[in-house]
Amino acid sequence: MKNTKIFITKALSVGFLFLLAFSQVFSQTKTVAGKITDSKDGSPIVGATVQPKGSKNGTSTGADGGFSITVPATVTTLVISSVGFDRKEVGVADAGSITLVASNSNLNEVVVIGYGTAKKKDLTGAVSSIQAKSFNKGVITSPDQLLQNKVAGVLVTVNSGEPGAGSTVQIRGNSSLRANNNPLYVIDGVPLDGRNAEPGNSNGDGATPSSNPLLFINPNDVQSIDILKDASSAAIYGSRGANGVVAITMKKGQSGATKIDVGVSYGKFAGYMKRYGVLDRSQFLNALTKYGAASSLNYGGNVDALKDITNNSISQSYNLALSGGNETGKYRASFYATDQEGFIKGTGLRKYIGSFTGTEKLLDKKLTLEFSMIAGNVPHTFGYVFNTTGSAGNLVSAALQWNPTQNYRDANGFIVPSNGTPNPMAFIEGTHDKAVTTSILGNISAAYKILPNLEYKFLYAINHSEGNRNVNYEGWLQGNQSIQGKGLAAILNARLNSQTFTHTLNYTVDLTSKLHLTALLGYEYWKSEFSIDGQAANTFNTNLTQTTRIPVLYTSIFQDAKIQNPHQSYVDPATELQSYFARGILNWDDKYLLTATVRRDGSSKFGSNNRYGTFPSFAAMWRISNEGFMKDNLIFNNLALRASWGITGNQEFPAGSSLEQFAFGSYNTAGQVNVLNPNLKWEQTKASNFGIDFAFLKGRIFGSVDYYNKNTTNLLYQGTAIQPAPATSVWLNLPAHLINKGYEVAIGGTIVQQKDFGWDLSVNWSHNNNKLTEFTQALILSGSVSGQGVSGAFSEAITNNKPLLVYYLKPFTGFDQNGNQTYGENPTFVGDPNPHNVYGISTTFRYKKFEMVLNGGGAAGYLVFNNTATSVTNISGILQGRNIDKKAYDSPEKPTSGVAANSRFLESGNFFKLRNATITYNAGNFGKFVKNSSIFISGSNLFVITKFSGFDPEVNIDKSNGGYPSKSIEYVPYPTARTITVGINLSLY
Amino acid sequence: MKPNRLKIAIIGLVTILGSCTKLNETLNSSLTNTQTANALGTQGVALLLQAAYTDVGSPFTVQDQLFSLEENSTDESLVPTRGGDWDDNGVWRVVHSHNWNADHSQVLSVFNALNKLSFDATNVLAFSPSKGQAAEARFLRALALYYLLDLYNQYPYRNPGDNLLNAPLVKTGTDGAQFIIDELTTVMTDLPTTGGPSKATQDAAKVLLMKTYLNRGMFANRTAPTFADADMQQVITLGNQIITGGKFSYSSEYFNNFIAGNNGGPESIFAYPNTSGVTTNNSRINARWNMTTHYNSNSTKAPNAGWNGFSTIGNFYNSFGAPTAMVGVANFATDKSGLYKDTAVDKRIGGRYFKGLTDVIGMKPGLLIGQQYNADGSKEKDRKGNDLAFDPTIAPTMIELGANLEVTGIRVVKYVPDIANGDYWSDFTAGNWVQIFRYADVTLMVAEAKMRAAAPDNAGALVLINALRAVRGAAPFATLPLVNKTNVDDPNTLLAERGRELYWESVRRTDLLRFGVFNVLWQYKPSDDAHYNIYPIPTGALASNPNLKQNPGY
Repeated sequence: MKNTKIFITKALSVGFLFLLAFSQVFSQTKTVAGKITDSKDGSPIVGATVQPKGSKNGTSTGADGGFSITVPATVTTLVISSVGFDRKEVGVADAGSITLVASNSNLNEVVVIGYGTAKKKDLTGAVSSIQAKSFNKGVITSPDQLLQNKVAGVLVTVNSGEPGAGSTVQIRGNSSLRANNNPLYVIDGVPLDGRNAEPGNSNGDGATPSSNPLLFINPNDVQSIDILKDASSAAIYGSRGANGVVAITMKKGQSGATKIDVGVSYGKFAGYMKRYGVLDRSQFLNALTKYGAASSLNYGGNVDALKDITNNSISQSYNLALSGGNETGKYRASFYATDQEGFIKGTGLRKYIGSFTGTEKLLDKKLTLEFSMIAGNVPHTFGYVFNTTGSAGNLVSAALQWNPTQNYRDANGFIVPSNGTPNPMAFIEGTHDKAVTTSILGNISAAYKILPNLEYKFLYAINHSEGNRNVNYEGWLQGNQSIQGKGLAAILNARLNSQTFTHTLNYTVDLTSKLHLTALLGYEYWKSEFSIDGQAANTFNTNLTQTTRIPVLYTSIFQDAKIQNPHQSYVDPATELQSYFARGILNWDDKYLLTATVRRDGSSKFGSNNRYGTFPSFAAMWRISNEGFMKDNLIFNNLALRASWGITGNQEFPAGSSLEQFAFGSYNTAGQVNVLNPNLKWEQTKASNFGIDFAFLKGRIFGSVDYYNKNTTNLLYQGTAIQPAPATSVWLNLPAHLINKGYEVAIGGTIVQQKDFGWDLSVNWSHNNNKLTEFTQALILSGSVSGQGVSGAFSEAITNNKPLLVYYLKPFTGFDQNGNQTYGENPTFVGDPNPHNVYGISTTFRYKKFEMVLNGGGAAGYLVFNNTATSVTNISGILQGRNIDKKAYDSPEKPTSGVAANSRFLESGNFFKLRNATITYNAGNFGKFVKNSSIFISGSNLFVITKFSGFDPEVNIDKSNGGYPSKSIEYVPYPTARTITVGINLSLY
Repeated sequence: MKPNRLKIAIIGLVTILGSCTKLNETLNSSLTNTQTANALGTQGVALLLQAAYTDVGSPFTVQDQLFSLEENSTDESLVPTRGGDWDDNGVWRVVHSHNWNADHSQVLSVFNALNKLSFDATNVLAFSPSKGQAAEARFLRALALYYLLDLYNQYPYRNPGDNLLNAPLVKTGTDGAQFIIDELTTVMTDLPTTGGPSKATQDAAKVLLMKTYLNRGMFANRTAPTFADADMQQVITLGNQIITGGKFSYSSEYFNNFIAGNNGGPESIFAYPNTSGVTTNNSRINARWNMTTHYNSNSTKAPNAGWNGFSTIGNFYNSFGAPTAMVGVANFATDKSGLYKDTAVDKRIGGRYFKGLTDVIGMKPGLLIGQQYNADGSKEKDRKGNDLAFDPTIAPTMIELGANLEVTGIRVVKYVPDIANGDYWSDFTAGNWVQIFRYADVTLMVAEAKMRAAAPDNAGALVLINALRAVRGAAPFATLPLVNKTNVDDPNTLLAERGRELYWESVRRTDLLRFGVFNVLWQYKPSDDAHYNIYPIPTGALASNPNLKQNPGY
């Protein structure tokens, strides 16, 4: 028995061993499962990559942070990586519960470099990358606001406080002699046009401010934004790269269980960020006495027009995202609806945005199909606010000038004072100006791995945008002669359509064991078409008096108008761009990296003699910290030197500019409108960049310092046409040099990192000097000054050896004994509108489940021209009973003093603004399904520190002249509001 | 092997796709040169010609173009700065005080506008026009060149089809005048005899020829013009052809020349047409009354419609013969007959009841001085509630700082506001035609030429002058010298007669130059220099065309 027992035991043992051996021979795999969480708060990390060490296969974590991977039995170590976290290696045995530490230096972050990605540590050029967790919070209407003050060298100026207002984005200084010249936006590899299908309106009193072309992007869908700042990075975009490139990566689905993210927020205004300095009621009454104004100008009332034009409705925002997938297929769908009330009554912005993106891997994972679709519908309601308001005034000027003792209404309706000031409340009620823009951005791509290291990718994208705008100014409105007693309406339409075809081949090869090559070859075709049309009419039969108003819009009864202006339509010449490009990145042992790119661009915009341009660039990096002698140093985790040089182009000028064109005018006229210039070509920027990247104290402090020198030449500009000519200007390449030189410093760090308490801080600072040299033309005037009494005056100039748009005004010399302002006869150069220093600061405090984020920034070393104080709130108004500027009231000036554009109202623009402060309580999980819930309260534009007397020193009203841009001019802008938002975010799965 | 083949195939595909696109720009709303010629045919030439006609409108109408350079630089007009209004960087004051420079915005915009007309007219000639069309185009170009010569003493000149990136040649002074004369003489017989005044006619070309001959001596020497007898005889001959042609006659009511709805009236030889209620191609004639009337001048229908700017000076007002209070004013409130009650002074001074205007808003056309009234006879008030009474005295600096800054300056309503249009003073739909050449100018030019001829015919001149004065309700002159060299506003001169007839019609500066008195000092022009006899070439234009030479003194 005993032997039998032993035999059986032995036999079983042998059999077991055999089985074990067998299984090792025939399977040799094991399944490892686990969960990955954030070391900070234990929240699951979604989409983290889990790979067996030494293998390129892997999986990623699902919505709960969990993963399960089948690996060869020999595998003992897993490599865990996730964007925003330090890479970690764990033993298989410890894989059940893995925590990742949020990385500060983000060296392994994936950064978009144009037609591909690279790890942050491998970047040879100056690319700034910012992830969703670092974005600005609070009220965000367009993606460029996410990175305001976040990136050194990038100046994002939202042009006014209007919801949906356009932005001026300047990367490393002002490098264009043309208006509306922003960087190239690339969304998930699709370059956008930059124009906007929301029709502009110039039927009131001047043009309304233009809107942001990115309103159809849901800010909650943005994963990261990468900014290609230097020529070596942007040269891959060739003739469109000179202003820099902003590459936006949208969120994608992750494998794992289906997850629903929900976000709801409500916002309310908390007054002006800063009020314009006009007199309050008691000061106004004192002023009437002080200046001997007629006592009848005290009407006895007590109103505050600046307050009464503002709105206190609640803004709301709802966001829902659904995502999921597995190793072969992933998807994400999101829905966003927001109703953002404008700070001024009767204005606002709504957005309805849906997006869907998916990835599918087919054919043994050799073929990757990706598709995405964004559809956005943006209704935008405008107030009676214009860039170039003249003596007739607009809503803001009317509120500034309103007599604080005069009520708005009598028994018959709105009072129209005899002082020439329109009634701001009437503007609010009598204006109905609404645009609805629908945009679709769709792209589909297919990538096929021809060989394991050779991938071909095809991308087709279409961006279609269509806008309609109905403008109604009711006839009882007084002040504007084209509206008063008649009523004015316009129906306007615009369409923008652009398409992209891209073919790329990506090849990676280890040339030796240490030398690694990544190569890219590509072809791209891009086409864009734009058209506008519209009709205006006036002299309607309804709403001509306040007492007989009906709620029927003129645009609903357009045929009623006695005067129908002819329908006008215009189709822009199509722009076609055809490009070949190549890039090679050589990496020797992670110590020496060399990048070379070249792009050859052909553009239909260029003259027939210069159809193609070539844009090369080179960059090199030496990663000192990977050298043997640095390997064991305890200070630096990363230390790298970078140098780059390259040429980029700019072709943002109107299509058709190189051709002789004959256009039809109104009623049987036709004439030549443009001069043939077959030599017209792109503007060229040669730029070099030197940088150093560093991280020390185990990566707790990291940053980079860059020096750059940009030289833009062949400047595209509207030169004086040689008369007789069809137009006053002609597009030419100007052989002058526009130099932008500067430094950038970005430093981040973790000051405290404990379980219950953490404190992170990051700061950036940039300094830029801008100068136009070898400019031999006559001085060009821009920065047109508006308002009664200053027609035809300009405030800025483009001339040699000066910063672009240098202030050029008659020098203010004080007041004479009669209290009249005095000033020099001839204009002189009196200051720079371009900020020399731009800085940002962000900090995060974490205490247990509470987190507080503060984002702020500012600019310094520039002047703002206060056109409002010059011509709207000047002292002469007091004798007519108009409210006036506190600065004038406090000065020795008397009301007889003339109005003049001079240097008196050039004010320091230096400011610091607390853009947003957000306190979040991370409540965590509830019940079975609610995960990662948090509630927050956020304040936007909480305060500004500045000496500037207007609404907001960060202002850039478009005062361009004949296509020449303007900079830093305030003129009765839509004011900036302080906003408080509360909200809740949670996930369900 | 297979993957490599695929690779080759893909690279091949890329290359093929690449070579497909030619990148030739397609114009969608505009046409190329060839398309214009082919697609439009002769009709296309008509469109191009019409574009040139349209170019005439704005520069000859609005307040800050030709009108400003030709009138504000004289004793007839000025724009004082009024507290917060009308400083406009000093552009208006420097024109009146003869203190402008080459950066003046109006100097530039007029140069560009006239050259645009020159360009569009020249372009017609590149598209195989008919003889008649070519003649019209060359007339329009000559019109532009005449005013360029008058203002700048030189003009650039292109041939049809020139490369527009090359600098064109420039004609100066008497050479420039000779070219205009040759052009007009060449096209004369190809021009129609009827179809005016909105289109070029032989009569319009004759007026332009008369002006060129009459001023040729001034173009030759602006400080001391001399007049060749042959030129004067040409003026007389051409003028007599127009007079005896019988197509034109004096309007019995002077201000009917400037109303809406009469297609220019019987005195109109060349005019820019506007249509009441139509904005398309409207030259914005409403500027002519808005620019001068007070904010409250039409307080009943259009509050704040007036711009309260342009005025004339007291001495010019006095060139009507020191008028005293007019008879009609006393019965103003009750009299609605529309008939003149007074015969004492020249009716061109205005200030009388005008049916369709005075009975609607109280305004009377002409020179507005003293108290203004509403249609119901009540006193018009200014914005401070004081009586709106225009005061001839303007601040010496032209910068009004006093309590009366709103009401200084005599106002001039020559074009009668198109009140019947229904939209009151509004923009761009007024139907008054803009008078460019008027019959009275022809008779006065003939009279002047007779006086300037080698054998002066002063008696013959007086017949013409007194005939005109009779129609205008003014007493005849027994003698009338050309000019008083020390007082441009001496009422008893032909220069003053031209002023009374043609004030605010953009001829005054040329007249003062021709009469040799442009540098004589007058009110609100404390100093002068001979170089202001010619406007400067705008800085930008000078830099772009090396063939242009800056005029002396700038």
